[in-house]
Amino acid sequence: MTYREALRRALDEELERDDNVFLMGEEIGRFEGSYKVTAGLWKKWGGKRVRETPISEEGFVGAGIGAAMLGLRPVVEIMTVNFILVAMDMVVNHAAKISQMFGGKINVPMVIRTPGGAGAQLTAQHSQSLEVMFAHTPGLKVVAPSSPADAYGLLKTAIRDDDPVLFMENLILYNQTGPIPDDDGDEGLVPIGRANVVRPGDDLTMVAHSYTVRRCLTVADRLSQLGVQAEVIDLRSLRPLDVDTVVDSVRRTGRCLVAEEGWSTFGVGAEVAARVHRACFDDLDAPVERVGGAEVPMPYAKPLEMAAMPLEDKIEAAARGLLRDCGVL
Amino acid sequence: MAEELVMPRLSDTMERGTVARWLKREGDEVHAGDVVAEIETDKATMEYQSDLDGVLLKILVGAGEVAELGAPIAIVGAAGEDVAGPPPPATASSALPAALKASPVARRIAEEKGLDLRQLAGRGTGPDGRIVRADVDRLLGRPVLPVPPPQAPPPVMAPADAEVVEPSRMQQVIARRMTEAKATVPHFYLTAEIDMGRAMEFRGELNEALAAEGVKVSVNDLIVRACGLALREHPQFHRSYIDGKLHYHPSANIGVAVALEDGLIVPVVRGVEAKTLRQVAAETRDLAQRARDGQLKQPELEGATFSVSNLGMLGVTHFAAIINPPEPGILAVGATVERAVPRDGEVVIRPIMAVTLSVDHRASSGADGARFLQSVARYLEAPILLVA
Repeated sequence: MTYREALRRALDEELERDDNVFLMGEEIGRFEGSYKVTAGLWKKWGGKRVRETPISEEGFVGAGIGAAMLGLRPVVEIMTVNFILVAMDMVVNHAAKISQMFGGKINVPMVIRTPGGAGAQLTAQHSQSLEVMFAHTPGLKVVAPSSPADAYGLLKTAIRDDDPVLFMENLILYNQTGPIPDDDGDEGLVPIGRANVVRPGDDLTMVAHSYTVRRCLTVADRLSQLGVQAEVIDLRSLRPLDVDTVVDSVRRTGRCLVAEEGWSTFGVGAEVAARVHRACFDDLDAPVERVGGAEVPMPYAKPLEMAAMPLEDKIEAAARGLLRDCGVL
Repeated sequence: MAEELVMPRLSDTMERGTVARWLKREGDEVHAGDVVAEIETDKATMEYQSDLDGVLLKILVGAGEVAELGAPIAIVGAAGEDVAGPPPPATASSALPAALKASPVARRIAEEKGLDLRQLAGRGTGPDGRIVRADVDRLLGRPVLPVPPPQAPPPVMAPADAEVVEPSRMQQVIARRMTEAKATVPHFYLTAEIDMGRAMEFRGELNEALAAEGVKVSVNDLIVRACGLALREHPQFHRSYIDGKLHYHPSANIGVAVALEDGLIVPVVRGVEAKTLRQVAAETRDLAQRARDGQLKQPELEGATFSVSNLGMLGVTHFAAIINPPEPGILAVGATVERAVPRDGEVVIRPIMAVTLSVDHRASSGADGARFLQSVARYLEAPILLVA
């Protein structure tokens, strides 16, 4: 099953399970969504449960917040994460803060689904990975699954969660295939805030989320040919961040590299590195290494875009540099 | 109050020293100036004079043991004084000098295993010599990552029936220095053939004239003197590349390789450009003799700005020598042999000597080396210039 189909199945099952769940977004109905995640759902569930919106992110995110405050469970699709910027006030100033500002009497059980990522020559304004902006904000939960099973399980968990959840997808991931549980009950649910060791190893800890996990797995395979077994950890959730799983690993390996598609500065790597340095100071053989996208607005030209992205070769070079600093390789 | 005798710096390149033997025992009285021990450096064995008065209370570094520069090797104090107090730094396992860089996990493992990380000083394989886990693991005999890459050559295996002997201090130094030189100095080699006919006549005449004084000038002395003059002429060659800087040498100090029974030592003839052949000959002879007797002093082995190695007397016609860093080069001298050479359209028999100059390419280019070599040839082919 593809990542896209896994998302669709999760939405379908949750629409079925809970009448309060509804979908909202630009052209997600008749047109079935820009990336076809909601294909077939409008036909099946009708315009009340799968609502088309005008091109007005601030308006329909705000509407979602209102609906959630009154007890519904909206799943709002933002066509790509780049368009959420016009709705930042709604997300950061309202969705994130309402529960606490109302003393916990009102919750905002809303999911915002949105894809990010680069690599399709969509240039500077449409190629971003902005999840850290939300992971930075107390009151929000942020998840970014890398496999169909996690996409399925986390989306269902997010819809059932009483806090606003930013559900970060990735354009390249939509066609990735992988198994998901056959059972449509709760077996496939994936808890928010729990990382997953997707490849075990004792020599180097590689930490990533979303599509970068796949890149790290490729790099780990390459390193294994040199006799280095890298452990790859898929964070899955950025907020809350499961630092324990990373720390357990780094205690064993003594070496840690964090890769992300977004910019490194103030990024996931910065956060993980700070926490690992504190928790694992006496276990480290070298400082935590970070790999991220080039600190530029994404260029349009294909060779420049490839050069700006933290692709496998760049991650591998960083891993080798880290290992060299440890006197091995 | 007890005080410490520390491992002294006895040569420029010394990083650690071995206590060859103690001449005083615990309980012996010592006075400032007394020779208390002999210390082996990377180049020679030297006497170590106490700078303290008192009683040698405790020897911290026994004969045959190694200590880093500045590390305490013995305690001197008043008779009966208690030296058990706080342990001296030499025996403390965890107190590391701040300058010793080690990764946190390397420090932790060392502490857990009671390992003194100072034994790894200068041998860390991390950035800027940082001691990392792999270094500690290696010391503990634990497996170290990674298994060698597939393209790595198979490990050197000694034949099972070979007799295994610990190399002497000198052999260890030669092994280390030559490996360093070949690994870090980009060598290139220039070979030239020099017609030694006139040089041999000149030497014959010279030795006849000096016979009464008992002085004998060798071919090698002529070569050393020629090199001294040529070095002065070619400052662009007579310079060393050290830590990214070029050091121009004001004076030609030439190391002359002396083969020993099982090793090699290179005493230095200083200021060759300003010395007469007679002086060069006498000094070289004296240095070589004392080298064979093991009587050289450390300063006599230091400060060379060029070296000459001659295997001609052993029948070698041509070889290439390894540079002794930071010297800019070394001249390898082969045997002078009679060869048929074309001269003015005729084949004549001439005594020909092949020399090969090894050059540090960081310090000079091929043309610099070639011009130097040309000068050396010119002096030897017109040897009157050696005394002009």
